[in-house]
Amino acid sequence: MVNSRQTDFEREIAQLLVSSLNLGLDACAIDPEAPLFREGLGLDSIDMLEIALAISQHYGIQLRSDDPENGVIFASLRALAATISARRA
Amino acid sequence: MAQVWFEKRERGSRWALRAVRAVALRAGRRTARVLLWPITAYFFLALREGRIGLRRYYQALDGQRPTLGRLFGHYLTFARTVLDRVYLLASHRDAPRYEIRGFEAVASYLDCGQGVLLLGAHLGSFEAARAAAFLRPGLKIQIIMNTKVSRQLNEILMALNPEARESVVPLGGPASLLRVREFLAHGGLVGLMGDRVVAGETTYSADFLGATASFPLGPLRLAAALRAPVFFFTALYHAPVDGACRYELLFEPLCGPAPDVRARGEWMRQLGERYAQTLERFCRLAPDNWFNFYDFWQAPGADASCRRATRDPGDGDGPGSERPVDGSHATEDLGGRGKS
Repeated sequence: MVNSRQTDFEREIAQLLVSSLNLGLDACAIDPEAPLFREGLGLDSIDMLEIALAISQHYGIQLRSDDPENGVIFASLRALAATISARRA
Repeated sequence: MAQVWFEKRERGSRWALRAVRAVALRAGRRTARVLLWPITAYFFLALREGRIGLRRYYQALDGQRPTLGRLFGHYLTFARTVLDRVYLLASHRDAPRYEIRGFEAVASYLDCGQGVLLLGAHLGSFEAARAAAFLRPGLKIQIIMNTKVSRQLNEILMALNPEARESVVPLGGPASLLRVREFLAHGGLVGLMGDRVVAGETTYSADFLGATASFPLGPLRLAAALRAPVFFFTALYHAPVDGACRYELLFEPLCGPAPDVRARGEWMRQLGERYAQTLERFCRLAPDNWFNFYDFWQAPGADASCRRATRDPGDGDGPGSERPVDGSHATEDLGGRGKS
């Protein structure tokens, strides 16, 4: 588990997930490599919609329904953070 | 053994549905309505579970055991609304007329470019409700549906109208909900059902016709995430007066757009309560429009193995259907998520 420590930016995104979904868990506890949906953090497509809205509010990035990378973007906290920092630049 | 029987039955009813569709379009509504009597009688006799579920409903509604005549009339109403779906979808000259109530409040949101979420139920006609899209030029409607349920009936009916087929958003993929959100942002109408619990779904409890019933939490969460005003909607079927039956399209405000996440729990609690109360009021107004033919008050998960055994896997709609449960339900406190 070499990569399982959160970077600072991943911590920030993790906190956004916890607050926007009212998750009731410590943001530090989210494994950046674990899948966000179903088996991992147990989020579903409605949660994903909330996350997409929170991201657009905080970072001004619009995640669109026809984005071919949607499957990759929401794969894990790490993938999500990477997408946001790449698109924000 | 059971598997073989199910498959046979699925083929059988598919053939019957296609036959009804063909006869309905060729012979017209008057003839088709006469043919509904023997068809309904067959299903009425063959599907005991549906009768038991309906009895429970009528006992909750007015405390009395319903007569066989009343139960049969209920089946007949269901059959008639299914038949009318054929005419509505095919834009046939025999398509029934409808009256509209309460659309002004919806329109005032649409005027500002704000889309509206219509929370419906298995009450009255789904297809007549779709007619809401014709209420003003350029208005579009999308229906969020669990396409795994009543797959067969929908396939056969939707073949009549490619546009209606396109307006159905299958529940599931994350991208599909983003699309719904964009659709609402462009001032569209989005319909979804809020009464039936499907396998594995989280539920909430609400008082409904004098006892506690379980409702799916997903539609409330989705309504909250979509941040759109929520209306109850239904299209009630009314028996013929002077030979002409009609549908009544009803829109009732439930809640304004959801507040931010901290106040979300209270908002969903109110929405759930108002939804159940409104549903109850319309059940009392048109009792035979209730199309959940199973014991609605039975705790999800209770007796699941037995119910699974009697369920028709091909079609979750109509008197042959059982609530599709698998016993893995959780009742969630609306206040917090607690996913840890």
